[in-house]
Amino acid sequence: MTKELESKFAEELEKNQGIIHKVCRSYTNNENAHKDLFQEITIQLWKAYPKFRGDSKFSTWMYRVAFNTAISLYRKSKRSVDTTQIYDNLKELEYQDYDDTRDKQLDLLYQAIYSLNDIEKALALMYLEDKSYREISETLGISEVNARVKMNRTKTKLKNILNP
Amino acid sequence: MDKLENLKDVWKNQAVTGLNYTKEDIHNMVKKRSTSIVKWILIISIIEFLLPYVLILFTDLETPSRIYADYGLGDLTRNYTIVHVIIILGFIYVFYKNYRNISADSSVKDLLRDILKTRKTVKYYIYYNLLMMGILGLHFFYIIMNSEMFISKLPENANITVLWVTAIMLWGLFILLVWCFYRIIYGIFLKKLQRNYGELRKRE
Repeated sequence: MTKELESKFAEELEKNQGIIHKVCRSYTNNENAHKDLFQEITIQLWKAYPKFRGDSKFSTWMYRVAFNTAISLYRKSKRSVDTTQIYDNLKELEYQDYDDTRDKQLDLLYQAIYSLNDIEKALALMYLEDKSYREISETLGISEVNARVKMNRTKTKLKNILNP
Repeated sequence: MDKLENLKDVWKNQAVTGLNYTKEDIHNMVKKRSTSIVKWILIISIIEFLLPYVLILFTDLETPSRIYADYGLGDLTRNYTIVHVIIILGFIYVFYKNYRNISADSSVKDLLRDILKTRKTVKYYIYYNLLMMGILGLHFFYIIMNSEMFISKLPENANITVLWVTAIMLWGLFILLVWCFYRIIYGIFLKKLQRNYGELRKRE
């Protein structure tokens, strides 16, 4: 693979790395596992990159590979620690109007997503990202009807976790 | 407004965590080795294909060769070997074809299906080997126990039926143990994938 292709890939990934971080944070519960999963997703994206023809949006394609890695390909890191550990790397926000409430809400949301099963996690993320049912159905490989039903079930489950 | 809808706003405005990677970090990552399950599927499957033949290298080949000669089993062994090799090559071809289909940019359901299909090839290969062991074992026992050389060596009060039953039970027990051991390993290895595939296949 050429240096040029690698450079283009790195640039696109750097711009869109937020997507991978969201997937990693949903499928892992500690920083070490997050880093390991991020690396594995990056390797899988790089392997698949030469085949990416731009038929879909780059972000949609990234989600697909990221979900596949998290759900099917990734082997749990040996460095995983206590599964109830909450992320201890709360970032130093650079916002002028730092809002602790939003941070806590986000943490709770991620914890709620983490408690779902692997497929429900993917559905929850795609709901929060406002993906269409067509995209959801193509990413998961199920019919749109099935995607709608599964999505409603996942949303109900998420609401119940957040509002016990 | 729905609490979940409110949280969408929080979600959309989240900043990237402290783990913000640069282009150089990404360049370094792509050079690292994958720890994905696909690599392990290939390694373990190759070991499973080769194991019976590696074990043969550590067995005493002189005794079986003598038995084949004494009881006229040479031709039978050769015929079984030819059929066996053709079937094994067929398995290897199907495994390779399925393995090549595994792709991280398939849909989630297709990837799970392709991984499970690849492992199924190996599962059927193992079952085929166990079946062949059973059939070959019975066929050889039959020929040996009905041969003049064997009968002439038997004590006067020997009961052929008891010998047959004992031989079949021991051989059957050995095959069963190998099958159980393999089912457990197979189950542990693919439990998560089978569960996720089942979840996607479920029609609500």
